This record gives sequence, structure tokens and C-alpha cells, in this order.
Amino acid sequence: MTHILNIKDLYKNFGKETILKNINLSLEKNTVLSLLGSSGSGKTTLLKIIAGLESEDKGELLLNGKNLANKKPQQRNIVYLYQEALLFPHLNAFENIAFGLRLKKVDSKVIMEKVNHMLEHLDMARHAEKMPNQLSGGQRQRISFGRAMVIEPELLLLDEPFGALDAITRGKMQELFKDLAHKMHISALFVTHDLKEAIVMGDQIGKIQKGQLLQYATKKEFYKDEFSGVQKEIDFWKQINNN
Amino acid sequence: MARKLNLKKHLNSKTLGQLFFIAVVTLPVLSGLVYATLYSLGFVGVLNKGFTTENWEAIFFGSPFWTSILFSFYVAVTSIVLSLVFSLSMALSWKKALQKGALSTAMYLPLCFPGTVMAFFMFQLLSKSGFLSRLGFTAGILSELNQFPALINDAYGIGIIITSVVLITPFFVILFSNMYRSENIANYKQLASTFGATKLQLLTKVTLPILLKKSSVTIYLFVIFVMGSYEIPLLLGRQSPQMISVAILQKIQRFNLYDIPKGFAMSILYVLIIISVLLLLYFRNRDFFKTETNA
Repeated sequence: MTHILNIKDLYKNFGKETILKNINLSLEKNTVLSLLGSSGSGKTTLLKIIAGLESEDKGELLLNGKNLANKKPQQRNIVYLYQEALLFPHLNAFENIAFGLRLKKVDSKVIMEKVNHMLEHLDMARHAEKMPNQLSGGQRQRISFGRAMVIEPELLLLDEPFGALDAITRGKMQELFKDLAHKMHISALFVTHDLKEAIVMGDQIGKIQKGQLLQYATKKEFYKDEFSGVQKEIDFWKQINNN
Repeated sequence: MARKLNLKKHLNSKTLGQLFFIAVVTLPVLSGLVYATLYSLGFVGVLNKGFTTENWEAIFFGSPFWTSILFSFYVAVTSIVLSLVFSLSMALSWKKALQKGALSTAMYLPLCFPGTVMAFFMFQLLSKSGFLSRLGFTAGILSELNQFPALINDAYGIGIIITSVVLITPFFVILFSNMYRSENIANYKQLASTFGATKLQLLTKVTLPILLKKSSVTIYLFVIFVMGSYEIPLLLGRQSPQMISVAILQKIQRFNLYDIPKGFAMSILYVLIIISVLLLLYFRNRDFFKTETNA
């Protein structure tokens, strides 16, 4: 397996506070790595450093073997998605998806074709003309995914993208993302604080705690780790079942 | 039962609020319009002799009213466009300084000046015998005061435009500076930059469209506000072309009493034009006057 992303000995401080220390991470091509971590653990900072929106104090970041040092976010071909869908309020659903393609000055016929294809994929074709304020939270998040995926980034960074959705919509979105990621051969880092979501979404799992990252070689290894929280969860549901 | 009572209470307070609005806002405005209409058609007024469409015909088919409307529109649009250019440049360049410190306070100062006072200041500053002209003369740039360009009481309304821009720009700076934060523009920009947007694209495809769309209603209302302004064009404008409010007031309040019905006809026609424009904007986009979105 080839690695699309490699991070070696990465450090980040804000003032006197160390946010990330000795981060080592590798992501295989066309796989999704779930990053579990509580609030303030440094996971958003890590994603922003990978996207080029924050700078690292020390360490090395390689995308497809190429060093990302001093590369602006515009040059990285890495898309960072926030928890909020952040659809551009002045553009309708179609134009939001077309946004990245228009920036790259792709031919308008190709844009039409790609965006319509993406809208079909997302089951959002009938909402193409709607403005963001006419869409539900789940629909906005779908368009947000489509907008990111249509430009075929080398790496997708998702920062708790389903955090603001209700349980049912969240489940549907997880399925949709998994399906799209598989079909479109997406490589992604998926940050969440939800244990179940991390297991469902990730081909691999990592845990970030107090600025330090532990990446498990396999999911099984994660389940076996007594500090992963998996065993606690299983015990909880067993207890419920017994009652 | 309790729910019914609550609903009744809510309805009552809502109805009372609506009645209050009608009594304080709608009725006086409507009464004024009805009175002006009757006056312009000759039904009321000491010198009127009964129903006539003469005044309306004179206004509608004569050129002074339309010249005033066009001149007011030109002054308003130019003032607002210049204010937008200046305010957006300031709000986007001085983001941090506008959040705290001396500049954030200083920005509110021009808002304290009434239009009349600002117009007077501008007169002192920009007239041929004003401060700038004298400064130029003392510095040897001008050989006589009369060489200073005509910025006051001029044919192009430059003095009116400069004064309006000085008064409006700080308001827009505060509006855009607050909107930049409340609309999460920084996050949109970061997101767009990961899509590959250059600095220019961030400005033209993200920041400006979001700010201008969100503030579009305010901008249109300001155009209407400047079109109808009175004190500044009265002090800094000239007899011809006149801005619409000055032209109407001159008809109603000055010299020839037989012009009063024409003044009323002008005011009604002006109101009708503004209402038609607003209705057009509304029917083109029903959400036009909605300020809240779920986006």
C-alpha cells in the first residue's frame, strides 16, 4: 500500500501552551482514517496544519511523498471541511458545488456535466436551484461534500462534519459519505469525538489526546486497547441488554 | 385552557402592537398623502378653485421634476458607490484596528454630526474662499482663490456627494466590520483557499459577494435616503439642477403660492416612484426584505 500522507515529529505551540507534540501519522491511499479526540485535544489544529491554514513549529508533512513545507493552502489540493456546511450564501446549490471548478476555470460544459453528476450522486438533483437557506441541515452538508469531492482533492479533511446533525440524518450522512468515499476513491482524515462514528467511518483509527497521537495499525488493535473506550461501550450495552 | 388564555394574551398584545403601529406610523403618513393628493387635485387649499389635473400635467410633462429625480438618483448612486468602495477598503484592511482601540471609537464620531453641520464644515473646507483654497493660495499652488475648482454649489453636485460620502462611509465601515465577523467570512475564506482561490478570487468570489448580498437591503435604503436628503443639497447644491427634496420644498414653501399644489403633486409622484421600485425589487425576489437566513 502506498501512503498518501505522512507526518513526522510534528509540534505546535500556541504561546507557552503545547497543542501538538511528536505527531507521527501515515494515511494509506483511498482509505479513511478516523481521528478520535475530545474538545481541545488538538485535532482541529492538526487538520488546519495539514490544510496549510496553520503553520507547524516543527516537523515534516509529506503528501504523495512531496514536502508540504511553505506550500500555501491553494497549492496543496487538500480540502478542509468544517463542522458547519459553510455553503456560500450568495450561490445556489448547483453553483456551490461548481465553486471549486469555476475557480480552476474548467470549461462550462464540463462543469455542467460534473456538477449534475454529483447532484445525482448526492440525490440532490431536484434541489439544484435552491439557495442554502432553503435547504435542511443534512441537505446543506450533502452539498458541502459534493463541493469538496467534485474537485477531486488528493486529500479530504473532515472536522466533525456531522456534529450539528440529528441522529437519523447523521446516520444517513455517514452511509452517504462511506459510499461516496468508496466510489470516488477518496483519501480522508475524519475527525470526530464520537466513538461509534469513528469505528463506522474509518478504515483505520487514531486517537489524539492532550496533543499526542496514537495511530492503531488495525481496527482490532483499537478494540483491544483498554483505553480506547470500546470495551466500556460494549459493557454498557450488555448491561442494558441484561436489564 | 391555560394554553388558550396564553394564546389570547399573545394575540391581544400582537393586535395592540399592530394598532399602535397603525396609529403612530401608517395613519399620519396616509393622512399626509391623502391631503397632498387632494391639494394637488384642487379639492382643498385656499387658492384652489376645484378639481383640476393641471398641476399633475405640469409636473408629469414638464422637465424640472424629471431632471430633479435624475439628478437626485445620480447623486445618491455616486455617493453610495463611493462610500461602498471606501468603507469596504477600510473594513477589510483594518479588521483588527476596528475591533478595539482608538480607530474603533473614532469611526463613530462622524455619525454624531447632523447633516447640516457637516454640510457647513464642507462649505468652509471646499468653497472657493474655503480652507483648502486658502491653503493652496498660501502654499503658492494657486495664484488666486478663484482658481480653486468649483466643489460647492457646482453643477455636478460634487460638494453634496463628498459630504454624503463623509457621513455615510463610517456607517458602512461599522456595518461591514461587524458583518465580517457575524457572517464567519474568515471561515469562508479559509475554506475557499483550500479549494484553490487566489487572494483576488477570495475578494471577488467570497468576501464581496457575501457582504454585498447581506447588506443589499441597507444599501438600497441608503440610496433612497440620499435621494431624499434635504439639508446638504440645500446648503451645497445650486438652483439648477436641484435635488428632489429641495425642489419640492421650494414649490411648497416659497414665493409663489400657486406652486403649492405642484409641490404636493411632485411629492406624491416621488413617493409613488420609490414605492414602485421597492415593489419591483420585492416581486423579483420575495426574500428581498428578509434579513434573516438559516444558512
